[in-house]
Amino acid sequence: MPEPILKLEEVSKTYRTKGSMFGGRAAGLVKALQCVSLEVLKGEIFGLVGESGSGKTTAGRLIVKLESPESGRVLLNGEVLSTLRGRRLKAYRRRVQMIFQDPYQSLNPQLSIYESVVEPITIHRLAAGRERMERVLSMIQTVGLSPPESFVNRYPHQLSGGQRQRVAIARAMVLEPDFVVADEPTSMLDASYSAKIFNIILEMRKRFGITILFITHSLAAARYLCDRIAVIYRGHLMEVGTAAEVIHHPLHPYTRALIDALPKFGLAEQIPRYNTLLEEERAGVEAVGCPFFMRCRKAHRTQCGREVPGLEPVGPGRFVACFFPGNGGGAGGKGS
Amino acid sequence: MDNGERFDTSRMKRSHWAAHFLEGWSVFIQNPLGKAGVGLLILFGLMAAASVIPPWIDPMYRPMTGVDPEIVRSVGPSLKHWLGTDFMGRDLFSQLLAGARIAFMVGVSAAFMTVVLGTAIGMTAGYMGRTVDTLLMRLADIIMVMPTLLFVLMLAALFGQLNIWTIVLIIGLFRWPGVSRVIRSQTLSLKQRPFIEAARVAGASHLRIIFRHIMPNVLPLSFLYMTFRVTSAITIEAALAFLGFGDPGTVSWGMMLQWVWKTGHMFKAPYWLLPPGICISLITLSFYMLGRAMDEVLDPRLRKEEDA
Ligand SMILES: Nc1ncnc2c1ncn2[C@@H]1O[C@H](COP(=O)(O)OP(=O)(O)OP(=O)(O)O)[C@@H](O)[C@H]1O
Ligand code: SF4
Ligand SMILES: [Mg+2]
Repeated sequence: MPEPILKLEEVSKTYRTKGSMFGGRAAGLVKALQCVSLEVLKGEIFGLVGESGSGKTTAGRLIVKLESPESGRVLLNGEVLSTLRGRRLKAYRRRVQMIFQDPYQSLNPQLSIYESVVEPITIHRLAAGRERMERVLSMIQTVGLSPPESFVNRYPHQLSGGQRQRVAIARAMVLEPDFVVADEPTSMLDASYSAKIFNIILEMRKRFGITILFITHSLAAARYLCDRIAVIYRGHLMEVGTAAEVIHHPLHPYTRALIDALPKFGLAEQIPRYNTLLEEERAGVEAVGCPFFMRCRKAHRTQCGREVPGLEPVGPGRFVACFFPGNGGGAGGKGS
Repeated sequence: MDNGERFDTSRMKRSHWAAHFLEGWSVFIQNPLGKAGVGLLILFGLMAAASVIPPWIDPMYRPMTGVDPEIVRSVGPSLKHWLGTDFMGRDLFSQLLAGARIAFMVGVSAAFMTVVLGTAIGMTAGYMGRTVDTLLMRLADIIMVMPTLLFVLMLAALFGQLNIWTIVLIIGLFRWPGVSRVIRSQTLSLKQRPFIEAARVAGASHLRIIFRHIMPNVLPLSFLYMTFRVTSAITIEAALAFLGFGDPGTVSWGMMLQWVWKTGHMFKAPYWLLPPGICISLITLSFYMLGRAMDEVLDPRLRKEEDA
């Protein structure tokens, strides 16, 4: 079994929101991540799946050190991130890269494609002169912008969203990093374009042996791309396992609800409906119990409402945070 | 750039800016305000350039020292003196031309100083945030509420006549806060944008982020503010000169007005009073129109880049 390259140890992150004086919003705390622990193994594509606002981007930003955890530790190759300063931080920046969600925002409009992609090489003094240029050109070719010479002189506003995202991928990959966080790289693009971007990511892994944290709200994308996935809900990890197992045999009521929500395209017979979602959310929920309590059909009022279920192993490499995982809700219990 | 690159990045950079400029220019020149502003400025530019001609024709046309020996008082327009002469027989037309040169000099150099200072301070405050931001912006508040003119008057009263470059320097030191506020807020919004974060993730230093990623995105705004600052610098200099605190060694339009007033020709010599007065109004107006037209050109483009 390959060793873990990235570790999150009981990481929590809380944002303080200012609240607007006139909008009637009170200042408050948003718990974006709560006591999240996970390991990503060398060479795998690890999927972080969850709905909007569940804390996926926050996790990614912690890993690339755009943000610091409030408590807990993030480790890459055994190095604790919060201790990195100066030269070691810069070395870390070379090894860990991020592909951002919105390609319309992640490229400087004033820089040409060449200037954007060459910048990381210049910063880390990896090459100069002709060699540097060759590296940029070949990377632009690798991400499928061909011939590269016809793209290098252009500016972001002259490219489509998909082409921009390819440039952003080239910028991240040109450093040949060990670890890449890909934050919903296709969510701003046409669905038809997603598969192309996915294939580039797969190609990159094959070629450079990169480990990837792939953030997505789509189980289908995670199934296509990932070796293992973790399902996150409101800052809590709900279920971890191999992509195939989690999607074909989901154990957590929330994962099941996500699978219910997948479009079926007439394949309803092959995909069991779990029906774990309440029609109406529970009212008057104390903030102490299971984070999914208010929407969970299976919830046990006394236990689930009072205690937070921990992420417990239920099999080799399989973890679930639920007091009543799997059975009991009834797989295939259609229209219960 | 490196030798032997297959494409020339610096040339490409120039053409990028050239394309931006041409695109902006074509919108700009269709704007009636822009047209009028540019037209007037060309006129004043010609005046400033032409100011070297009269002294070259005859020493008596030297704006400061040249005196027509046959006339030693103020007389109205004639063929020899198109706008007439001042109280000691100096040619008013030559003075008016020289005044255009001074106006450009004072206006542009003071505005340049304000804008460089304002941009640098605004970017620093916005980017660094926290204490640095608070300190710089408090300083800006303090300077902003100090009336520039009054302060210069006090200095002049303390140190006697001020040199024209001292005046420029003081205007520069006093007028940056407005620019810095605008640049600061622009920097604040740029700082949040993912391309800045991407640069951080790539390992870019603070200096690189400021100069490579933030500055090119705020410069159009700085440039816009420069035109408005030219207007205010010219007005301040004129007011100072009129009140008698100008540089006695230069012939500015404000100086001309001061001489009309001091020698009691205010209501007797309209040929002397009106030209500098009209010129001051028109040149400030033309820079203002230029700025407004530029505002209209830049604004949609800034917006377009934001959501493009
Ligand atoms: N800078 C911030 N300040 C305050 N709150 C924030 C900030 N960034 C994120 N949050 C909040 O933290 C929570 C998690 O946000 P995050 O961006 O990690 O979610 P996400 O899973 O990436 O969602 P999406 O799929 O919409 O991108 C959200 O409730 C969000 O409103
Ligand atoms: S712990 Fe209880 S409330 Fe939470 S998901 Fe499991 S059954 Fe539902
Ligand atoms: Mg996100």
